[in-house]
Amino acid sequence: MEWDIASLEDLEHYIWRCTACGTCKVAYDFGPPATCAPICPAGTEFGFEGNMSSKGKIAFARGILDGTLEFDEDLLNDIYRCTICAGCQNQCQLDHKPFIPEIMEAMRRKAVEQGVGPLPLHKNLTRSLKNYNNPYQGPRRLRTDWTRPFKKAKKPIKNIMKEPAPTLFYVGCTGAFNQGARPIPTATASLFQKLGLDFGILGENEVCCGSTAMRVGDAEEFKRLATHNLELFKKLHDEQGVETIITSCAGCYRAIKKDYILSSDYDKMMDGIRVVHTAQYLHELLQKGELPIEGELAMKVTYHDPCHIGRHLNKFEVDDDGSQLWPGAYLGMSEEDCVYEEPRELLKAIPGVEFMEMERNRSNSFCCGGGGGVMTGFGDWAAKNAGLRVEEGMGTGAEVMASTCPFCHFNLNSGAQRIQSSMKIQDVVELLDQVIPAKD
Amino acid sequence: MDTATAKKIDPVLEELQGIVGEKNASGAKHIRYAYSYDLSFVEPKLPDYVVMVQNVEQVQEVLRFANREKIPVVPYTAGTNIGGLCIPERGGILMDLKQMNKIIDIDVADGVAVIEPGVSHAQLAAALTPLGLRFGWPVGPPSASVSSCAISHGIGGLNARYGLQSQEITSMEVVLPTGELVRVGSCAIQKNAWHSTLPLPKLDGLFKGWLGSSGVVTKMGVNVHPAPPLLKIFTVSCDTVQDMYSYMFNLSNYEICDDITAVSWWLSQVPIPYPYKEKPDDAAEWNSYATTFSWTEAERDARAEIWDKVVAEEKAKGTSIQVTHYPEEALKGRTQLPSQVVGSTKNYCKQGGAGISWPGTFTPAKKWAPVYTRWKDILIGHNLSPSVRMSMYRGVHYGMLRAMIPFNKQSKEETENARQAIVECLRVDLDEGGIPYKPPVDFAKEINLRADPGYLMLLKRVKEMLDPNDIMNPGKLGI
Repeated sequence: MEWDIASLEDLEHYIWRCTACGTCKVAYDFGPPATCAPICPAGTEFGFEGNMSSKGKIAFARGILDGTLEFDEDLLNDIYRCTICAGCQNQCQLDHKPFIPEIMEAMRRKAVEQGVGPLPLHKNLTRSLKNYNNPYQGPRRLRTDWTRPFKKAKKPIKNIMKEPAPTLFYVGCTGAFNQGARPIPTATASLFQKLGLDFGILGENEVCCGSTAMRVGDAEEFKRLATHNLELFKKLHDEQGVETIITSCAGCYRAIKKDYILSSDYDKMMDGIRVVHTAQYLHELLQKGELPIEGELAMKVTYHDPCHIGRHLNKFEVDDDGSQLWPGAYLGMSEEDCVYEEPRELLKAIPGVEFMEMERNRSNSFCCGGGGGVMTGFGDWAAKNAGLRVEEGMGTGAEVMASTCPFCHFNLNSGAQRIQSSMKIQDVVELLDQVIPAKD
Repeated sequence: MDTATAKKIDPVLEELQGIVGEKNASGAKHIRYAYSYDLSFVEPKLPDYVVMVQNVEQVQEVLRFANREKIPVVPYTAGTNIGGLCIPERGGILMDLKQMNKIIDIDVADGVAVIEPGVSHAQLAAALTPLGLRFGWPVGPPSASVSSCAISHGIGGLNARYGLQSQEITSMEVVLPTGELVRVGSCAIQKNAWHSTLPLPKLDGLFKGWLGSSGVVTKMGVNVHPAPPLLKIFTVSCDTVQDMYSYMFNLSNYEICDDITAVSWWLSQVPIPYPYKEKPDDAAEWNSYATTFSWTEAERDARAEIWDKVVAEEKAKGTSIQVTHYPEEALKGRTQLPSQVVGSTKNYCKQGGAGISWPGTFTPAKKWAPVYTRWKDILIGHNLSPSVRMSMYRGVHYGMLRAMIPFNKQSKEETENARQAIVECLRVDLDEGGIPYKPPVDFAKEINLRADPGYLMLLKRVKEMLDPNDIMNPGKLGI
């Protein structure tokens, strides 16, 4: 399987297209009144131009390429002090816009290739991926710990390797191994059972999607995991009848939808398989009138957009051959693949829920601070940033911050604890599970 | 030696970290590198240290230290001036002020906003609009600093009515290069009064147009204005620069517009064609838009009536004037400011490749036509588009004439070609009585070559008085 993953040198032409105008620094939309708010977690915390949005990261890339900068401890730290949230990308209007996260990750890949990256804490993570197929150093058998209550209740979840099912619930490592995030797969499976969905999980046979490896620049490890998964998905399709893969993790979704397509065999491997996020899947049922919401939740809820199912799914139009403007010109962007409205509509469909919007939302959402390897490499800063986001949520008057990503879920919880907030962090699925009755 | 040890034995860094905190001062090369260049043709230069100041006391302490040790200090907020003004000519300490970004007060009754230096146009716009107030937003990135633009004599969308951004400054608090905190304008007499600089002696001039070489402005009052609800935009085209000047002069005399601007065909293209591309024969060479805001429909109609009269007069002269319809999106780019998209400087240079500089000048309007004609020859001779803008300031008395020149920053040759063309254009303008604003050092040298010796002597004397050790952005004035 061939992989087309860009090197920093491949992206040099785009790197030089940054004017250093600084538009990437703030979330801004013309009003009136205008929206104006910080968008870069690293810029908010560290402040220097180099830490600030894509302007700073492009400066590092230019310096590395022109030979002015060499990897040292300080530079390496700052290259990894970025959540790759794409908030800056959303603001930029220049030709390098479509490639901004790619440029940041290409710097990391270069550091890894040269043997200086990733950071020591990330090396634990990638070592864990190599040894355990998950970033949490979790033994395989622990992957299914969350399913015990289902067995106990005589409602076991299918092992899709043994029993065919049209739908694979791809749980993801965080939901499976991270105690704080485990309520998400539990609620998801509970909900699926209530809805009568014929689904299964990979259980001990699930391996990481590879997102974490890709985000910290270990392309080789990503390729190993992604290749394994693509081959597994094809096998599941051919032999077990899998037609739909549902991910409850925004990171897994992004990896399968955006990183796996860098494989030359993607179309062949994924032929006949649809990949959806839980929020999309449930929203489809809502639209069809097949989501039997009966209960009521009298609560004020705000919604935090995970970057990986939000602006990371922007689709960019580039004039590759120069037939419209010039070669490589950025022509436009579509948000049609971004999962912004589905979770909101699900929340609003719950009787009693009073939905409150934070100022920074949808494409201008402020990252929780956990992505891009930051939660592993700079845990304290990740939680501090999440605390800022929780404060923003509290400012709306909401008592619950809902999200659709176990990574955000864990980090926002850490943030809430750090600032001793009473804000409850819950997945949209957890809330829905409370208002959908079990089928007899 | 590891980097942590290296930091410990750098006494300057230690001193700076003692003032602003360890995380807010850095000598790391990659951090300095990100401050070493901007959009312009000015050659990149690295500062030796970067400090992120949080308050006035820290600004004072850094300046006292730098003055004692004779270390250059370059004030910086967003670095979007496109004149290389924040590129450290002689290294030293880069003082990043962007985190001093509080809007201290918006006094609706007095029509004054009091801001810190890091307040951006986008931030102020977001605060003013709900109060029914406005400011003259420039055609620049939303993250650019209001106060930096104002003290550098920047321009904005209310220039025809109120003049330059610097003419909107009411009062200032400034830290001198020697560390003393001073105030100019009404806030100097009563600390909460920010309404004006007059009738006191206009000491505010000591800190305007000095390119960060006379002090660090830490608080500024600016006039803000009620925002009338009805916008009408007058758009015309002309085949010649002479005809366009005639129309703008005529219209400006009636003082009905907030902004009267004309752009050459090349500048009306977003992005500007790079390299030079010939204008289609059937396209007019000049397009103008003039904005007028009114409180009532009757007022708007009265303004339109005056404009009709002006157009009729220009037609009667036999000029090539035509009333045109501007595409809605293009008008948005001129009226919905600050803007990320059409209105932002960066979009002009997309085709060139990230570089943009200008001969940006204040030039008597009567000289626009002869200067433009020469500029056109020079720029086309360098295979660059004559993408020129002309705007009236505060009536007909003077105006802005500038060419926005994109170039490919990845290529040293193309950058140098643009620099040469721009400096040639500048010489033409200076010889006609124009003066560049936000000038790179190359421009400052050309200005000083022509300056009256008494003016230069006075300039040096004032600079020495304020900055005896020449630590503030040294070299930028070319003296």
